[in-house]
Amino acid sequence: MVELVTRIVGSPGDGVISSGDILTLAAARSGRYVCTYRSFPTEIRGVDQSLYQLRISSKKILTSADEVDVLIAYNERFLRDNITDVKRGGVVIFDSSENENKFDEYQNVTKYFIPIKTLAEEFATERSKNMVALGVLLGLTPNFEINEQIKSDIKKKYEDKGEEIIEQNIQAFEKAYSWVRQNLEKEVFLEKLAIEPSGKKLIMSGCEAMAMGALVAGCKFYAGYPITPATEIMEFLAKEMPRLKGNIIQCEDEIAAITAAIGASFAGVKAMTATSGPGLSLMSEAIGLASMAELPIVIIDVQRGGPSTGLPTKTEQSDLNLAIYGTHGDTPKIVLAPINVEDSFYQTIKAFNYAEKYQVPVIILSDVSLGERRECIDVFELENIEVNERLKPDKINEGEPFSRYTKTYTGISPMTAPGQKGGAYIATGLEHTEDSAPSSKPNIHAAMTEKRFKKLETAQTEFISARKYGDEDAKFGIISWGSTSGPVLEAIDLANKQGYKIQALYPRIIYPFPTKWINDFLYNKEILLIVERNYCGQFANTLVYRCTCMNKDIQIHNLMKYNGEPFTTNEIFNKIDQIIKGQYLKFMTHQ
Amino acid sequence: MAIKTAEQYRSRTKPTWCKDCGDYKVLDALTAAMAKLEIEPHDTVLTAGVGCASRLPFYTNTYGFHTVHGRALPAAIGIKVANKERTVISVGGDGDGFSIGGNHFIHASRKNPNITYIILDNEIYGLTKGQNSPTSHEDLLTKINPYEVVEDRINPVLMALSFNTSYIARGFCEDQEQLIDMIVRGIRHPGFSFIHVLSPCTQYNPRVTYDSLRRRIKQLPEDHDTSDRILGMKYAMTQEPLYMGIFYKNIRSTLHDKLEHLRGMSLEQIGNPAEYTIKDVMKQFE
Repeated sequence: MVELVTRIVGSPGDGVISSGDILTLAAARSGRYVCTYRSFPTEIRGVDQSLYQLRISSKKILTSADEVDVLIAYNERFLRDNITDVKRGGVVIFDSSENENKFDEYQNVTKYFIPIKTLAEEFATERSKNMVALGVLLGLTPNFEINEQIKSDIKKKYEDKGEEIIEQNIQAFEKAYSWVRQNLEKEVFLEKLAIEPSGKKLIMSGCEAMAMGALVAGCKFYAGYPITPATEIMEFLAKEMPRLKGNIIQCEDEIAAITAAIGASFAGVKAMTATSGPGLSLMSEAIGLASMAELPIVIIDVQRGGPSTGLPTKTEQSDLNLAIYGTHGDTPKIVLAPINVEDSFYQTIKAFNYAEKYQVPVIILSDVSLGERRECIDVFELENIEVNERLKPDKINEGEPFSRYTKTYTGISPMTAPGQKGGAYIATGLEHTEDSAPSSKPNIHAAMTEKRFKKLETAQTEFISARKYGDEDAKFGIISWGSTSGPVLEAIDLANKQGYKIQALYPRIIYPFPTKWINDFLYNKEILLIVERNYCGQFANTLVYRCTCMNKDIQIHNLMKYNGEPFTTNEIFNKIDQIIKGQYLKFMTHQ
Repeated sequence: MAIKTAEQYRSRTKPTWCKDCGDYKVLDALTAAMAKLEIEPHDTVLTAGVGCASRLPFYTNTYGFHTVHGRALPAAIGIKVANKERTVISVGGDGDGFSIGGNHFIHASRKNPNITYIILDNEIYGLTKGQNSPTSHEDLLTKINPYEVVEDRINPVLMALSFNTSYIARGFCEDQEQLIDMIVRGIRHPGFSFIHVLSPCTQYNPRVTYDSLRRRIKQLPEDHDTSDRILGMKYAMTQEPLYMGIFYKNIRSTLHDKLEHLRGMSLEQIGNPAEYTIKDVMKQFE
């Protein structure tokens, strides 16, 4: 068996996420790739389910998979809601402490009825039932022996809760493990956890990857305001930024946060803030200021369900319009969308490089499912990473006012920072001349607007083409962006097994519009499917239609998902299948 | 070293303020204060929001950041934290500072960065041609409040005292010597300094003139105890008469002090290593 997919579901407070994290660590330490999906309900202790899915593989993987090999469910409702995703021949572990139901109606799976809660009370306390579940799962894995590493992972996970809780949890885990080994028959399929290790790995979440990317890029100032799901970025940097000679401050609101970051950039330092949809809305004006004053700044938006307060813990890709168009006036900026955790790291470094080089705001669009999930990725080769700095003047004539916004061939003007003699200038949001004096003269506004946009033209000549996947001569193309790209690429693999030839294009640079790449991509295509997670087809409308309007023969289909969940590989494959078989309805949207 | 004059801090840009605007006098006092302190223009940063008063940075030859309405303080904080050696001064009007920017004033006081904040108060929105501001008198009718004013006015110095702003002073643009002195002290003060300056708008606010202000103001007693916050509040409670002088001064840790202290703590927690780099940060993910 090349991979194993496990899903744990319980109520909030059942410790689902903690046990999932520990399992992920154990798998990763043994040198396997891991991709996870974590779903938190909004209320701390509410009725919704808390879900953790992890997929362990010896190959690089792009999603946490649709179907599972093992399901651990703490009550009947969760079992019934999730059992349909268990593969034929899969395993279900059910907490039978308060429920004697044998679920005979579900045939093709092996069921283990284990009184998890009761055992927890016996071995330690009821609160440790997630550790019991973990002990049961690993107990059922014949070639897994308990070692010190997993005990220290448990200790680390609960270090905030104190010695007593740590002891109880370790005890619950060990006793459950022994109990299984003594009382149950070994299940054969779990024995096949002979997944090949493949080199040194790191485990991090999308948010951590972006925070690390910022540090690697040389970010030395962060200002932020707490917001689900971006707070993790701030928490990580609060710990590490001071150690790396940077500074991080908490602000009173998102407007203060972005303005402080832009101020720091003006003062000569690489700066960043991170937020989600509602925060990005608030930052609109300041983003325009950075664009007009030509100050580098990086803004991360970890998108969540919208509009307005929306669904803070659910995933969506509906801030695209806001990122591209969200500030008034003609505002040059760059918008990036990483596709997975590893990409989140590299794209953040690129974001800083673009921001510094082109002196524009750069917005990185991540989302809840990408920001929160942990993946096991290859170690980064830090020596090979290029980091760019802002253009500085070679020479300053101290007698004259510094011409900060000098028109150049590239549109990029050398920048000074306070402290530099002879380089003083006033950065302003007003339209201004080359030496930053406010001006509303017609020729000035026209010329300076062109100068600012020239920077984007220059950027486009330096961008490397968008990534593609699949057959070059396929007639069926798919375009997607952000974390949707994972299931799209896996769907293409599924489609290939059916004998379908599909090619995907998944640009990470969304703005300036990659028109050329898309036109080149569509050149030999007869069918185009655009996949994204929002209702309005923001990506399709914004980008693709402007490219396809020239190509009147191409058949365009959309697949939108807007229920707060990520796409599954099957959903996308089914759509491909339907299109190819001609079984589609025009204007169909996907629930 | 050559003795500096106020003129040496002026840029070539001619102010667009009206002929009799009080802001000219504040500009004079600020540049004179900078000259007295002998700070270098290239070591100084002025931030401002939007409005007549906020145009002030364009008329000096220091570095400056003319942000958007109400946001001079957050920008100043970002600049000061990132580039701590610079002298950072924020300016703005009563609308910029107490309406849209009001919230930032509270939190700047809490952070106590080493920044000087000068509000040029003309009790009106001048640049947009005459609307009520938070400090406008309650019987000032304007085109957007033609019948009646429905809000009470605020009390900036009392507010500052309640936020424990660590240096609070009020001056009148006509009383140059006093104003220069309180600006100099404000810049020297290690912490967040707030200077409330009365600076009439001769164009759009008929209720506030140089004469009316002269009649309205009264000096704080010579021996006023600036360490007594409650006493300061007593004098600040009334806005008729309006007391002038240094109300309160309190020396405590600045934002910089606290950031450096926590930096020490962050390193201590990991055993004060001789070197700590990205590679070390990466280890926690292995």
